Amino acid sequence: MDELVERELTVPEGVEEVWRSLTEPDWLGEDAAIELREAGSVQAGDRSGFVEEVDAPRRLVFWWSAPDEEATRVELDLDETDTGTHIRVTESRPLAILDGRDLAIEFGGRSGPEIEFGDSTGPVALAGSLVG
Amino acid sequence: MPTADPADAVFAALSDGTRRSLYATLGERGEATATDLARELPVSRQAVQKHLGTLAAAGLVATRRSGREVLYRPTPGPMSEALEWMAEVGAQWDDRLAALERQLARRRSVSA
Repeated sequence: MDELVERELTVPEGVEEVWRSLTEPDWLGEDAAIELREAGSVQAGDRSGFVEEVDAPRRLVFWWSAPDEEATRVELDLDETDTGTHIRVTESRPLAILDGRDLAIEFGGRSGPEIEFGDSTGPVALAGSLVG
Repeated sequence: MPTADPADAVFAALSDGTRRSLYATLGERGEATATDLARELPVSRQAVQKHLGTLAAAGLVATRRSGREVLYRPTPGPMSEALEWMAEVGAQWDDRLAALERQLARRRSVSA
């Protein structure tokens, strides 16, 4: 079973206006901030992470995690419609397959994301494809 | 496990409020008899037994016999763990998107 959550919302604002709200994402959590560039940092409440992909004003993909929780991947897709903007959010946890593998994921501050494996026999190639 | 898509059986089993609270109570207690559970919930022992049967068929609870009693326990397999994650994350996004709607509405009224 895919471990994936999907939610949709349509708002009357245009896609540019909705995209602007991503740079001031109060709605995402307390003191939330997203640096809208690849590898930019993501902060929201006690969660932190990094931006994987930016395609303004249509698509934003980032990874985040709360302390001691595995990182999850969030995709935000905006579509302009006749009446406003259709927003689709998908959150998935691709790292769930690594459960039990002594995996530690840390998001470095300004130095950008780092993924570390406590066990050198871990699936390093997979990690490479996740961060690469 | 049931022969149809196991996810369907799990979702169907947890679509009922009584069964959800039964499953949650079982999760708190770890293991219990139908009589124990009927005492804690506003449901007859017979109804509890029926609901436990549905949960068992979906693979959400397992049973063992202890003397003259049957004990039920939740099976926190990857399936129920995944469902829990999906329910929690889904609720978080419901809240966040509602907040996004409010944020946009506030701006609308400011700029109007």
